[in-house]
Amino acid sequence: MMQRLTGAERQLALIISVLTLLSGLAMAAAGRADPLGIHGWIVVLFAGAVFLLTLGSIYDPEPREDRAVSYYDDPTKVGLILALGWAVVGMGMGVWVAAQLAWPDLRFDAAWSSFGRIRPVHTSGVIFGFGGNALIATSFHVMQRTSRARLAGHVSPWFVLLGFNLFCIIAASGYLMGVTQSKEYAEPEWYADIWLVIVWVVYFVLYIRTLARRNEPHIYVANWYYLAFILVVAVLHIVNNLAVPASLTGAKSYSAFSGVQDAMTQWWYGHNAVAFFLTAGFLGMLYYFLPKRAERPIYSYRLSILSFWGITFFYIWAGSHHLHYTALPQWVQTLGMTFSVMLLVPSWASAGNALMTLNGAWHKVRDDATLRFMMVAAVFYGLSTFEGSFMAVRAVNSLSHYTDWTVGHVHAGAMGWVALISFGSIYAVVPLLWQRETMYSWKLVEWHFWLALSGTVIYVFAMWNSGITQGLMWRTYTESGTLAYSFTDTLVAMHPYYVARAVGGALFLTGAVLALFNVVMTIRHAPEKRPERDYPTSSEATEPAVPAAE
Amino acid sequence: MTHELTSAIAKSFGLFYLLALSIGITVYAFWPSLGKRFDKAANSILDDEDGPCR
Amino acid sequence: MLRKLVSPFARLFEFQARTHYRAERHSMALTIGIILAAGVGGFVEIAPLFTIDETVEEAPDMRLYTPLEQAGRDIYIREGCYACHSQMIRTLQDEVDRYGPYSLAVESKYDHPMLWGSKRTGPDLARVGEKYSDDWQVQHLIDPRAVVPESVMPQYAFLLNAELDTENLPDRLAALRAVGVPYTDEQIENASADARGQAMPETDGADGLVERFGDETNVRFFDGRRDRVTEMDALVAYLQILGGLTDLPAETQPAREE
Repeated sequence: MMQRLTGAERQLALIISVLTLLSGLAMAAAGRADPLGIHGWIVVLFAGAVFLLTLGSIYDPEPREDRAVSYYDDPTKVGLILALGWAVVGMGMGVWVAAQLAWPDLRFDAAWSSFGRIRPVHTSGVIFGFGGNALIATSFHVMQRTSRARLAGHVSPWFVLLGFNLFCIIAASGYLMGVTQSKEYAEPEWYADIWLVIVWVVYFVLYIRTLARRNEPHIYVANWYYLAFILVVAVLHIVNNLAVPASLTGAKSYSAFSGVQDAMTQWWYGHNAVAFFLTAGFLGMLYYFLPKRAERPIYSYRLSILSFWGITFFYIWAGSHHLHYTALPQWVQTLGMTFSVMLLVPSWASAGNALMTLNGAWHKVRDDATLRFMMVAAVFYGLSTFEGSFMAVRAVNSLSHYTDWTVGHVHAGAMGWVALISFGSIYAVVPLLWQRETMYSWKLVEWHFWLALSGTVIYVFAMWNSGITQGLMWRTYTESGTLAYSFTDTLVAMHPYYVARAVGGALFLTGAVLALFNVVMTIRHAPEKRPERDYPTSSEATEPAVPAAE
Repeated sequence: MTHELTSAIAKSFGLFYLLALSIGITVYAFWPSLGKRFDKAANSILDDEDGPCR
Repeated sequence: MLRKLVSPFARLFEFQARTHYRAERHSMALTIGIILAAGVGGFVEIAPLFTIDETVEEAPDMRLYTPLEQAGRDIYIREGCYACHSQMIRTLQDEVDRYGPYSLAVESKYDHPMLWGSKRTGPDLARVGEKYSDDWQVQHLIDPRAVVPESVMPQYAFLLNAELDTENLPDRLAALRAVGVPYTDEQIENASADARGQAMPETDGADGLVERFGDETNVRFFDGRRDRVTEMDALVAYLQILGGLTDLPAETQPAREE
């Protein structure tokens, strides 16, 4: 892979890895026995590995091919493999935490294996490890194809991808050591947060520079979604993670916000992480890969523009529905509820747009499991956004909040929508990137589809039942006006659902393992097929192309 | 910066901002003469994509 | 008809639509558009919370966490207790009947970060303080199922053998002061000694603690061990103060008559 980098680029990579290695050493020296010190050594190991890899090929000959005639897909390829690796780790952790709730002694007699510490490994593993890598990798793919231009840079995509994975490793290993800010989905401590800001700025610049090179007059709508994902996540991340470290030699920090302000900031972040990480980015994926796979243009491009701005504008207000009936002022709760309900319009516009695109191609959906992944993802997107708007209504929320219903809702979105659209896109793009005829085994794709679907359905139904049951038990009164059930009574009632949930999760995990196996076997064994290349592009664009930035 | 001021801005300006934005976007999306370009954009990804345009 | 009505403004709309089209051909313009659309919502919603007076009530008797309690709070965060226990009683009758007066904003005024939580795999802890004895808490943390057979909580026996690191407490209190908790210089300087004093009754350390944090402060052998101050001491000290920072909720919400 190094052969595609020029000598100067390899030197730049070497310098960056040395700088990272030095900051790792500084962390290790400052932190000593503190988790900060251990993280320092992890950074040293990571940067050292990159350094050695680069050093090994520093004197290789300069690339001979003309790099402008092809897309730069190496970072995409690595990103996809990393995404699948994280999927197996993150979902594996998920099954384990689920099992711990059913059988609490199913753990090691060690602090790191308790529910509280491994649960964020699961959430960050799937959201950032799997989802984030899938987003970064597919965005590299989509931005080049829709712009008909090569990535603007050869070192920066690697910096973004590897830097992001270093962040994920720091995050996951930190949780096991008890390093957490306790802000859900924003747990990593201050130094990891600062690192992510640097990575994210490079990502944004790379995206903008690639778009500036484009040979299409119009920026295709998928890019809008990816761009919104990058931009808004940056703002959310910076604001919610404002904190003062207790000392520069330790991991611990204290949030700049407290109490009700902190709660609002946290759920403004939390809900918009759902909006712009788990929705906008993956809609970008949907708007590119679904039409591409179905070989039909998106049903209504106009609708996609409308729903884009609708989602961008409405979502940001909705966070306070996480705080109904709390000490948050009521007008903020009402505002959050109103916007959450309005959000249904652009959400269903997107889901409907995707499904209408398939109108006339249903035979393909029947025969092609890859397209079916995307179709079911759009259905689950529609379902879980409806459920979300419903649960944001105060009266419903009074029952659902604090129960497993919320957990079920999140997983309907995360498994049914985010994971399925990612798997569909991965199956669509892997043969293309590695220049293979097809996936190694279409039967395994089919198996994966049914495992994932049944796992999701079992999971979601179990959580609906347990959530509604528990919510109702909590508020049941006896005839004499006292509470009918103790907390432990409700806990006993949860047990069968917790077992069912672990089973559903295990099915889903099995599917992810099959996916990883299938992709690896495709790379190693599937017959090659070189796509014919023709230049320049066959685009019918009649307008003059925007002049490239460089 | 009093609370009355900020919440008044939130309640009035926020509303007008929302209305202006949604009208603007709707006009843009349904402007007749832009239809062809949108079709072109929607179809653009289906064209050959084996290499970047030079 | 509609066409006629709109026609005078057609130029305006035409201009707007074309501007948008041009804008989106330039990625930076698109970027600014996204920031404008998304930024305002967050600003409108959050900014007034910082100026609002009613958001946080006045509670003159509101007290601060002692160094030992703050250390316990840090352990609570470290172990991820917030993933299963909320600290926010909603204004719903069954919650008030089950857990006590509903939570007020002022109660988490000094909580950096807040630990309101989002899921009750276990019960709410906002008012768990002094509901159970120290001994019950310790036994329950060592082996939850020995006390509550149906519990699915993990065991935290290791806390009893982990000596509490009190060296870092002055730094931690100073950082908390930087974000707005009104600790005095004295309280910060003596944080380490005060933490040990709170778990060692009838020592000089305990006297100093009471002098700096008030007579109401709990000074006990929280974990039952007299030889050293453990993480168990800190966590139990924290659990026992939950809901006890101010009397305002109990005063403003008289208990319902049976």
